[in-house]
Amino acid sequence: MPECLVSARGVGHIYGERAAVADVHLDVAAGERVAIAGPNGAGKSTLLRMVATLLRTGTGTLTVLGEELPGGARRARCGIGYLAHDPLAYLDLSPRQNLQVYADLFGVQDADRRIDDLLDRVDLIARADDPVRVLSRGMAQRLALARMLLHGPRLLLLDEPHASLDVGGTALLDAELAAMRTDGRAAVIVTHEVERIASVADRLVVMRRGRIVVDEPVAGRGPAQVRARYEECIA
Amino acid sequence: MSTTANRPRWTRQLAGLIRKDLRLELRTKETVMAMVLFAIVTLTIMQFGFGTRDNDLTRFTGGLMWVTLAFTAVLGVGRSYVAEREQRVLDGILVSPVPRIVLLAAKAIAIVIYMGITELVVIPLVGIFFVKGPYWDSIGWIALVALIANVCIALSGTLFSGLALFTRARDLILPVLFLPALVPVVIAGAGATHAVVGGAHDMSEYRGYCLFLVGYAILFLLVCIATYDAVFDD
Amino acid sequence: MPSLTTDHASSRVIGTRAALIWGVIATVLVTVASVGVFLSAPEDADQGVIQRIFYFHVAIALVSLVAFAVACVAGILYLRTRNVRWDDVSVTAVRIGMLFSVLVIITGSIWAKASWGTWWVWADPRLVTYLIVVLIYAAYFVLRSSVDDDRRLRYSAIYAIAGFVSVPLSFYSVRIAQSFVHPVVFTRGGANMPGSMLIWFLISLAAMLALFIALLEVELVGRRTERALRVLTLRLESS
Repeated sequence: MPECLVSARGVGHIYGERAAVADVHLDVAAGERVAIAGPNGAGKSTLLRMVATLLRTGTGTLTVLGEELPGGARRARCGIGYLAHDPLAYLDLSPRQNLQVYADLFGVQDADRRIDDLLDRVDLIARADDPVRVLSRGMAQRLALARMLLHGPRLLLLDEPHASLDVGGTALLDAELAAMRTDGRAAVIVTHEVERIASVADRLVVMRRGRIVVDEPVAGRGPAQVRARYEECIA
Repeated sequence: MSTTANRPRWTRQLAGLIRKDLRLELRTKETVMAMVLFAIVTLTIMQFGFGTRDNDLTRFTGGLMWVTLAFTAVLGVGRSYVAEREQRVLDGILVSPVPRIVLLAAKAIAIVIYMGITELVVIPLVGIFFVKGPYWDSIGWIALVALIANVCIALSGTLFSGLALFTRARDLILPVLFLPALVPVVIAGAGATHAVVGGAHDMSEYRGYCLFLVGYAILFLLVCIATYDAVFDD
Repeated sequence: MPSLTTDHASSRVIGTRAALIWGVIATVLVTVASVGVFLSAPEDADQGVIQRIFYFHVAIALVSLVAFAVACVAGILYLRTRNVRWDDVSVTAVRIGMLFSVLVIITGSIWAKASWGTWWVWADPRLVTYLIVVLIYAAYFVLRSSVDDDRRLRYSAIYAIAGFVSVPLSFYSVRIAQSFVHPVVFTRGGANMPGSMLIWFLISLAAMLALFIALLEVELVGRRTERALRVLTLRLESS
């Protein structure tokens, strides 16, 4: 039985007096890539932020990497990698300096070598010492990718990654996601690009108005089929 | 089974955050320069406001110095989270296993450093502008009370700037939150300064004010420890 | 169809009966105290009738501190439990505390005018401290209205705690400063208050305390009712 990296039971979050997320049951096992899709305002990003421990659950229990939140949030964070719309980098520091900050925060061993390795993989080694401010958006997002992978997280949480990654970054990310099937990691990907889901994900979760309406495997289906299924769900 | 083996030590996290803030400051030079300049301008304006240079303003030394430092502190503290805010880096920091109190400590230490640099300019300048009579022998005592006050300012300032971070008119909100809490610091700082300047070395008065400031720092440290998690945890 | 008797709406949960009871107690005590202080309290040689406002001045000052303490404790409890009812108590206590603090300044000013001929005296540590207190808690409302829903209650609770810590710090710094400049102590009374004066002082204190509790309960009823209404409206809309 593969280990469960995320386990949500009856999870909800109330914003003001409205429920942004309500009664969510979700499991993500090691080796799984789960895609979450849905119309705007469906609560996808809110749910992702809750799993990332950035947002507290109002109702229900959420267990991430074996730690029940919010009490175990700090231990859970050691194994979470988070990719957001923004690169989450200091514009006036260089990529190397940015990664050094995160290396310190996550307690990465042998930091300098690891930083160099990652900068090389994301193809930023040539610009490693220029302030992020002068880099292109695509480069900054590749830095974000490096930041996410720096501490070797078991759980990757991605918020619309393909929207801001350039070609190089996308290829890298897809390679990481493919490797996950066998190395015991898992990923949750919030996305609008429904067609891509089939190639990167094992399961499709569709959310509407804060609730999960569909949660099914999509392995082996083509993009058009997935699109059709998605349209069905949100109709 | 739990997470990866990395369990970061808070000393490394604290050092990394302070290094990051100092690096940013060295590169942009936005905060400290603005604080020092602001303090100098304020003192100059006060001098003009109180009359010609021939007036002996020795007895106002404490007040003038500490009012200036208080407003400069508001300026400096207001810059605390600028980088995280404008560049939306905060999520990246919060998703890391850093305890929120370490975040507070890093920001507070930066404030103590920036205020210290400002005081390196302000304390001598006040002597030159306002004091006729002995001043330079007391400078050590003034520096000591300034150091303690810096810790007070850093602790309460970082708490309030954390609260102001997510408000709508954050540059207006911070002074409104912070200045009333600074009143005791100004009273004690000015009182202690006044006690040693102009030759009147009333050390028991000075000690009383310094002990008060230590009490202030301890109380606000306790409040910060008790509440800082709730500032960031959503 | 959701049930109309929800957790929010029952009359016991809203507390209407408590409000009524305390309202009556407060009315009785305030009337007794007012009549007593202005008509039958012993007349001090140099005190006129208006200066008897001092009884209320000190009583209101003490009760406003109680109000802010209640707000601080409620804030701590809110952070622990995240139960919105504690925020209700906290914000209402701050509002009443503010009201009382403004009254402290007004009564203090009236007393100063009657005793020394000026509307303000920097030498009275209570008057000066309450000016700072009003500023501290005015900021509470500014903060509360500038933060969005998801953080508002948390930040109000944090500020209620930090503000309450600032109050004794302000008080003591003003005291220390004045002890070096004005060694005269401006508190009339204390342990050496004559017995008859003490009784009326204690009655005013009890009256102000009852008034605080009554106002608290009444306001809480209002808030809870509003919330029950909002919750019901939302449920009906979304079903």
